[in-house]
Amino acid sequence: MKKELIRLDHVSKSYDGQMILDDLSLVIHENEFVTLLGPSGCGKTTTLRIIGGFEKPDSGKVIFDGEDITDLAPNKRQLNTVFQKYALFTHMDVADNIAFGLKIKNKPQSYIDDKIRYALKLVNLEGFENRMPESLSGGQQQRIAIARAIVNEPKVLLLDEPLGALDLKMRQDMQYELIRLKNELGITFIYVTHDQEEALTMSDHIIVMNQGYIQQEGSPEDIYNEPENAFVADFIGDSNLMRATFLRDGMVRILDTDFPCVDKGFGDMKPVDVVIRPEDVELVPRGEGQMPGTVSHVIFKGVHYELEVMAGGFEWLVHTTKYFEVGTEVDIRVDPFNIQVMNRPASEDEEAISPEDEPSAIQA
Amino acid sequence: MRRTLERIYMALILIFMYLPIAVMIVLSFNSSKSRTVWGGFTFQWYISLFKDATILNALANTLLIALISTLAATFIGTLTCVAMYRMRRPGRAFFTGVSNIPMINADIVTGISLMLLFRALHFDQGFATVLLAHITFNIPYVLLNVWPKMKSLSPSTYEAALDLGASPFLAFRKAVLPELAPSIVAGALMAFTMSIDDFIITYFTKGAGFDTLSTMIYAQVKRGVHPQIYALSTLLFAAVVTVLILSGRVRKRSGAPGKKADYQKRRVKNRILACTAAAAAGAIVVLGLLYGGVFSDAGNKVYVYNAGDYIDPSVITQFEEETGIEVVYDEFDSNELMYAKLAQDDSAYDVICPSDYMISRLIQEDLIQPLDFDAMPDATQYIGSQYYKSAQAFDPGNRYAVPYCWGTVGILYNTKMVDEPVTSWDILWDPKYSGQILMQDSIRDCLMVALKKDGFSANSTDEAQVAQAAQDLIDQRPLVQAYVIDQARDKMIGNEAAMAVIYSGEAIYCARENPDLAYVVPDEGSNVWIDAWCVTKDAKNAQNAQTWINFMCRPDIALKNFEYITYSTPNIAAQEIIEDEQIRNSPIAFPDQSVLDRCETFVYLGEKADRMYSNYWKKIKSGS
Repeated sequence: MKKELIRLDHVSKSYDGQMILDDLSLVIHENEFVTLLGPSGCGKTTTLRIIGGFEKPDSGKVIFDGEDITDLAPNKRQLNTVFQKYALFTHMDVADNIAFGLKIKNKPQSYIDDKIRYALKLVNLEGFENRMPESLSGGQQQRIAIARAIVNEPKVLLLDEPLGALDLKMRQDMQYELIRLKNELGITFIYVTHDQEEALTMSDHIIVMNQGYIQQEGSPEDIYNEPENAFVADFIGDSNLMRATFLRDGMVRILDTDFPCVDKGFGDMKPVDVVIRPEDVELVPRGEGQMPGTVSHVIFKGVHYELEVMAGGFEWLVHTTKYFEVGTEVDIRVDPFNIQVMNRPASEDEEAISPEDEPSAIQA
Repeated sequence: MRRTLERIYMALILIFMYLPIAVMIVLSFNSSKSRTVWGGFTFQWYISLFKDATILNALANTLLIALISTLAATFIGTLTCVAMYRMRRPGRAFFTGVSNIPMINADIVTGISLMLLFRALHFDQGFATVLLAHITFNIPYVLLNVWPKMKSLSPSTYEAALDLGASPFLAFRKAVLPELAPSIVAGALMAFTMSIDDFIITYFTKGAGFDTLSTMIYAQVKRGVHPQIYALSTLLFAAVVTVLILSGRVRKRSGAPGKKADYQKRRVKNRILACTAAAAAGAIVVLGLLYGGVFSDAGNKVYVYNAGDYIDPSVITQFEEETGIEVVYDEFDSNELMYAKLAQDDSAYDVICPSDYMISRLIQEDLIQPLDFDAMPDATQYIGSQYYKSAQAFDPGNRYAVPYCWGTVGILYNTKMVDEPVTSWDILWDPKYSGQILMQDSIRDCLMVALKKDGFSANSTDEAQVAQAAQDLIDQRPLVQAYVIDQARDKMIGNEAAMAVIYSGEAIYCARENPDLAYVVPDEGSNVWIDAWCVTKDAKNAQNAQTWINFMCRPDIALKNFEYITYSTPNIAAQEIIEDEQIRNSPIAFPDQSVLDRCETFVYLGEKADRMYSNYWKKIKSGS
């Protein structure tokens, strides 16, 4: 078991009477890449700012390495932050930006110079010492921001949507870069994003948040394959999210058709939500599947085709490598272990989007 | 075609903006005092500028006030921005709005309210009050520049510095302040300019003996602005242009990403520059406070309130040296303004120099005190009795006033353009000279001409007589080239008009510059004006005030003043020792007794008649 590093203990925070975090507790371990994932306004950034010391919780505690740091000023905390819009000091060159923290700690110049060289090498920007931030691309600026943070040898690096302002290609490059960095530095990364793909790619551990609550936490595989509720299923990846009735163990009724499944213990004739990933929907010739349908839409996506199939009064989202013409009559088939059955939440608070609001397939 | 038009348009705009300044610069090198005649190239005004203690003193005050108020306002304003940044939205909006109001508010309102506040708090008006006022009105200009930049700053810059271990103060200084620096400098520059520029607020908050350039120049307007002022304005303009060019260069250089060595050199240079600037500013502030402190000590003083540019400045120094009495000297630009100050607080000045009609008003309103002539032997001995006789008109019994300067009003005409003998005011109604006539732009002088022409008294309160005179002036309007004050001088010297109603003092000056000009006091009679020294009713230093008046009557002093002012002196002994024979015997400066006998002095007509005169004056000016 990894060593516990940060613990938020029943933390609540509200602004102007609006609850942002409600009794939130979480644990972050050493040398983990943890991602706080959720839509905007879910409280992920506030959580990060509470850890960074830029916000004080209304109640609850922040424990760092066994010590209560709830009231400790940000400049006294052993962690560093990479801000969303880089927040480089535009009046200083790259070297001075990176040296900022070290100079404040009165490190000797030779030490600082070594650190600058090391950090620039680490972020693949050797020789950029004397450039001014304005003359750098967004990706380069973000790397400088990371270099500036890590030279201080923090135990934890907080990253607040650091790739949000970059274009797609740059974002993908930086994702690999960040994983490599984390592995080389051997420190904890706490990463905030609303991009589920980023979260799935980089994280060891994902905490899905919505409306100030933790919806689910676990490894990327757990989160993707076994979403615990409709919100998580909807938020992570594309999915066919439907209301259904759990007939009995191993059998669920979806759109008036009975599908065998592997889930147990939801009770008999109970209303549930089910999620079926688009790549798990098989299209077979008419008569060979479980439910008849008609292809209503085809888009070529490069690796696969994205289809919409009208079946049982529901627009199914389907990923397939085979081409189907619009209007083709097909049958739908789903393997029992690809049907994810979830409890339908009782209260509104726990989820933002429920299947009732959007009867058709919901795409994240 | 289109391009040519565009160019012409641009050229016109440039001319429109810069022609006035060009004219001023040219005039600053003009050896003639006239504004229309080129008398040759000279540096004399620049040389005399740096010898003129009054101007230099006002310049020093202006710069000192501007500098200290800029530093203070920049400091306060920047901190205010920081505070606003931390406010919630409604508070911010309120504060931004509130801080804008003083900028939009009329200066006159700001000036008067500050004056009332200082009065209510019993502050002595002077250096300190002007400084406080300037700080007050400068803060919004700093906010105007710094706040938008502050607002646009992402809080993460500051947070990033905190995150890297900087204390809140250090984070502000190292991360936020450099980002704000350009706007702070811009704000400071704007505040500095506004401070130098200000007249109205300074005017209301300044006290006796304290002047900035703007108030000093304004006080001189009555007798025409000194060419030294053109020289000074030219220097100021050159300074502004230099600063603009330099700052443009600095910006250009720092804008380009340079090499490391360059960058470091620049940084060292900047640091040295910043240190020097800070040291200089600090020194000036300390000096300024010491200097400002001088004004608050009470000692052996006399507070003098005289018309603008109405004394040889060396006389003041000489008085101080000989008597050991410190002179706090202040200037007004019109009798009415002087009256307004006196009516508010007549103890602010000890000795004043109003004109005849104003003296009769001050006597009626009990604002001046009878003089002790035994204490002023020179006033009795050297001032001609005929002038005391004339003064009886406004000072019956000669109890309140000692004549200082006097003169007549007459017609100055160009002998090349007017070949008939000029003896009557009627010539001003002669259609032959249509468009060649200049009239004085002043109620009493203008109506005096018409009243005298019609054979009435210049102090008439008979409505029928005044109405008739007014009608005459309305009939005359088509013939008049312009109603002017001191432009008459330039126009006559420059042969731009054939005749002008003018003061004898101006006539002496003009005749010297243009030998074709002659002056006459028409047979119907005219106004003889007398400016005289008086002591205020509640003078704190009445004794010193009389010492001052007596000193002014000493022949050598009177001569000095005569030579400086060129208005006729009532000092008989001084008249006799004028070196220049032509002037000593000048009929313009010293007409014979018969001329004086047919002239009368203005007296205060009372409020009712004043109103009547004003009403007719409005009709004359509007031509109906």
